[in-house]
Amino acid sequence: MCASVGCVPREPPAAPTLRWYVFDEPSGAFAEVAQRCAQASGGAYRLEIAPLPTDADQQREQLVRRLAARDRDIDIIGMDVIWTAEFAEAGWVLPWEGAVAEQATEGRISATVQSAVYEGRLWAAPFTTNTQLLWYRTDRVETPPKTWTEMISMAEALGERGMIQAQGERYEGLTVFFTSLLASAGGAVLAPTGGLSLQEAPTREALEIMKRLAASPAAGPALSTAREDQARLGFETGKPSFMINYTFVWPSARKNAPEVAANMGWTRWPAVAEDRPRRVTIGGINLGIGAYTRYPAFAFQAAACVASADSQRLAARRGGLPPTTEALYDDPEVRRTFPFADLLRATLKDAVQRAQTPVYNDISLAISRTLHPMKDIEPGSDVDTLREAVGRALRSEGLL
Amino acid sequence: MKSWMRSESRLGWLLCAPAILTMAVVTAYPIAYAFWLSLFRYDLRFPRERTFVGLANYASVLTSEVWWRSMVNTLIITIGSVTVELVLGFALALVMHRAVFGRRTVRAAVLVPYGIITVVAALAWKFAFDPTTGFVNALLGLDQAWLTERWSAFLVIIFTEIWKTTPFMALLLLAGLTLVPDDLLRAARVDGASATQRFFKITLPLMKPAILVALLFRTLDAFRIFDTVFVQTRGAQDTETVSVVGYNTLVVRLNLGLGSAVSVLIFVSVVIIAVLFVKAFGTSVDREQGESP
Amino acid sequence: MNAEGSSNERVLWGFGSVAVVVYALIPVVWILSLSLKPSADLNDNRFFPRAVSFDHYRTIFQDIQFPAALWNSVGIATLSSLLAVTLGMFAAYAIVRLRFPGRRLVLGAALSIAIFPPIAIIGPLFDLWRAVGLFDTWAGLVLPYMTFTLPLAIWSLSAFFREIPWDLEKAARMDGATPFQAFSRVIAPLAAPGVFTTSILVFIFAWNDFLFAASLTSTNNARTVPAAIAFFTGSSRFELPTGSIAAASVVVTVPIIMLVLVFQRRIVAGLTAGAVKG
Repeated sequence: MCASVGCVPREPPAAPTLRWYVFDEPSGAFAEVAQRCAQASGGAYRLEIAPLPTDADQQREQLVRRLAARDRDIDIIGMDVIWTAEFAEAGWVLPWEGAVAEQATEGRISATVQSAVYEGRLWAAPFTTNTQLLWYRTDRVETPPKTWTEMISMAEALGERGMIQAQGERYEGLTVFFTSLLASAGGAVLAPTGGLSLQEAPTREALEIMKRLAASPAAGPALSTAREDQARLGFETGKPSFMINYTFVWPSARKNAPEVAANMGWTRWPAVAEDRPRRVTIGGINLGIGAYTRYPAFAFQAAACVASADSQRLAARRGGLPPTTEALYDDPEVRRTFPFADLLRATLKDAVQRAQTPVYNDISLAISRTLHPMKDIEPGSDVDTLREAVGRALRSEGLL
Repeated sequence: MKSWMRSESRLGWLLCAPAILTMAVVTAYPIAYAFWLSLFRYDLRFPRERTFVGLANYASVLTSEVWWRSMVNTLIITIGSVTVELVLGFALALVMHRAVFGRRTVRAAVLVPYGIITVVAALAWKFAFDPTTGFVNALLGLDQAWLTERWSAFLVIIFTEIWKTTPFMALLLLAGLTLVPDDLLRAARVDGASATQRFFKITLPLMKPAILVALLFRTLDAFRIFDTVFVQTRGAQDTETVSVVGYNTLVVRLNLGLGSAVSVLIFVSVVIIAVLFVKAFGTSVDREQGESP
Repeated sequence: MNAEGSSNERVLWGFGSVAVVVYALIPVVWILSLSLKPSADLNDNRFFPRAVSFDHYRTIFQDIQFPAALWNSVGIATLSSLLAVTLGMFAAYAIVRLRFPGRRLVLGAALSIAIFPPIAIIGPLFDLWRAVGLFDTWAGLVLPYMTFTLPLAIWSLSAFFREIPWDLEKAARMDGATPFQAFSRVIAPLAAPGVFTTSILVFIFAWNDFLFAASLTSTNNARTVPAAIAFFTGSSRFELPTGSIAAASVVVTVPIIMLVLVFQRRIVAGLTAGAVKG
C-alpha cells in the first residue's frame, strides 16, 4: 500500500495529511512545491503548509514549546540551520538514515550538509541555503576592495557617498557578522570538541574590525539599529556605495531601484587581511522530521521530495532562494535568477557554520548582547568579556 | 449546642474546601514545585542531563547583571507609574465624586481602560507613538522614534500602564472618598477652611486606609508587569522587567531550573514588598484587610 | 449632590468630567480609526481616517486564526467565570453565614493569591501540563484563570452576601415554605445581582490574560485572543499587519465596552467591595 517506501505497520490506510511547518514564504514557491510533492506521491499523502511567524526567533519559540510538549501534529519542520543541534539533542527531530539520508545529501554542497549534521548524524535534509556577498556600486568603485581595511578607507575617501551598509542591530545578524569576521581571522567560537574556543588573537582582530567600522564615518549613525532589510532599503536609496547582505537584495533592487541595480556589482565578502581566506557564515532552511509525528515514513518521503533538486530549482526560480544542490548552479534557469551563481557557489563551498551546539540560541544572545553597540566595543577587554559570556551560556547557567 | 457548632464548622469547611483546594493545587503546589526545580540543572533541551545543583541557580541569577538590571527596570516602571497614578487617580476620583453632570457617563468612561485587554491597550499606544503610523509625533511636532531608545521607551510603557490602571486606583480612592462625611467638610468650610486645607486636613487623613490599600495593590500589580513590555519592546533597549526575564528563561529557553530560580526570587520579592508595606504603615492595612469582606 | 460650591468650581468639575471622558476614550477611538483606514492610509499619521474601509475586518474573519481564538476566548472565559463564581459562592456563603475557624484561612489564602505573581508558576505549570496533557487545551487555561479570580470572587460575593437580609429566609420558612422554596424564591433573587456582577469581573480577568495564554497554549486549539493578536503572523517578513491587529482589537474591545457601559454601577460596587468597604 505504501509502495516502495519503508512502511510503518501501524499507519492508518486513509491518506494522511502531513503538516509542513515553515516560515511564510511570500512568493508561493513552498506552496507549489508542497502541492507537487503530494501529487507525486500518487495520493499516498497530502501535504499542507502550516505557516510560522515571519521572525526566526518567534518561529523557534513556537516550535520549541510545542515539541517540548510532544506535539504530534508536527510532521515536517523547515529548520533554520542554527536549530540542528538543539532539536537533535532534545530528541525533537528524527535522524535521517540509510537510503533517504543518501538521497538527501547526494550532490549537495558539503557545507550545507554539515549544517544539518550534529554528532556525526544527519538530522535534516538540506533544502535552501544562503550566504552574504559584498555588493558595491560599479560606477563609483573601480576594483572592489579585498579586505575590510581597504573597503573602509575606500568608503571614507568617497565621502558622503561612501557609506557601508551592514547589520549592527542587537540580534542574530550581529552574531553572524562577528562569526564571519572571526572565521576569516582564523578563529572559531567553539573548539571542534564543543568547548569554548574564541582564541585571543583572532577574536581581538575581529573586534578591532567591528570597532573600526562602527567608528568610521562610513558606517553612519543607523548602524546600531540596522538589520538586513534596513541595509537593503538604505542601499536602494542610491547613496551608499557598499553593502554586506544576502542575495535577496538583487531581485529587490531590480524591482524597486532599477537605476541602482544597473550599477550594482558583487564580489566576495572582504577578507581580514589580504593573504587570509574569506570565510562567510552559512544560512538557510533544512527539513527535519518531527519526532512525535504519526506518519514518520510518509514524512521522510515527503521531505525528501521537498528537498529534491527539482523542488530546489522551483524555490530558486520563484522564491529567489539559493539551492543546496551544487549542479543546479550550472542550470541555465538558476543562473538567470542568480547572475552571480559562480561567486555564490564559491562562497558556499568554503562557508563556515555558526556554533553547532544545543545552546546556540543562548550563545548567540550572549554574543550580540556583548557586542552591541559596535561603537562601544573595547577590543582589549571585550575578548575576556565575550569569553566569559559565551562560557556561561555554554554551561546554560547565566541569565540572558 | 456543641454538636450544632461542630456541624456548622464542618459545613463551613466543606463549602470552602473546593476553593481552598483549587487555590492550593494551582498555586501552592506549583510554587513548591518551582522551588524544587530551581535546585536542579534542568533544561528541556538537555532532557537527559537533569542533575541536582543545590543553590547554584540562585547564585547564578543573583550574580547576573541581567537580573539586577531587570530589577531596576521593574522598579523604575513600578515607582514611575504608581506615583503618577496616585495623583491622577485622586484627581479622577474627585471629578467622579463632584461631577455636576454626566456622573454616570464619567464613571462608565473610566471603566473602559479597566476593561480593555492590556495587550490591546499596549498595541494601541505602540501604534500611536510609532513614527510611521502614529499621531503622537504629529500632535507634538516631534520626530521621535519612541520605542528605540531606553528612556523614551520607558515613557511609553509607563504612560500605557498609567492610562490602563489609573481608573482602578481612582475607583478604590472614590470608595474611600465617599466615606468622608460631608457634614465635616461643610463645617470646616463654614469655619473658613480653604479647599486646599479641607483636602489636606480632613479628606486625606480620613482616606489613609483606602490610599494604602490602593497603593499596595497597584504596587504589587505593577511589579508583575509583563504584557505591556512584551508587546511594546519585548525587552529591547534595556527595558526588560523581571517577569520578562522569567518568561524568556522558562518559555523561550526552556531552562526550567534556572527559570524556576528566577520565579522563586520574583515570588520572594513580592512577599518582601507586601511585608514592607504592611510594616511601614503599621496596623492600618492589617486591620483593613483582616476584617475586609 | 455634593457640588454646592461656587459656579467657578462647577465649571472646573464640568471641565474635569469632559477631560476624563476624552482621556478614557482616546486609544479606543484611535484603534477604531486605525482599523477602518484602508491599507494605503495606515501610515498617514492622522488620528481620524480619511476614507473608511472594512477590509481589515474581512481579512481577520477570513483567516482561520482569529475566529478560532475568539471562540477559545469566549469559551474559556465563560467556563472560568462559571467555575470561579460557583466555588466563590460556596466559600462566601460559609464566610458570611457560618462561624467556623476556616474563615481566616480562606481570606488569608485569597489575599495571598491576589498578590501572587503568575510568572512564578508558569514554569512548573508548563512542565506539569505537558506531562498530564493539559498543554494547549481549554482546561489548561481554565484552571489558572479560576484560581487567580477566586480571591476577587470570594471578596466581592461576600460583600454582596453581607447585604442580603438573611432573616427573610427564616421568615419564609415560618410561613411554610420549604427550604428549597425559601432559597429559590427569596434568597436567590436577592443574591443574583451580586453573582452576576462577580461573573462579569471574573470574565474580564480571563478575557484580559496574556501571560498564561502565551505560555500554556500554542495553536488554534486553545490560543486566546490576546495571545493571537500579539503573535499575529504578517503576510510578509517585513510588514507588521497593523490593520488586522487593529481590527481584531476592536472586535474584542466592543463587547467589554458594552458590558462596562450597561453594568457600570454594579462593576464599580464589585471592584471596590472587597478592598475598602468592610
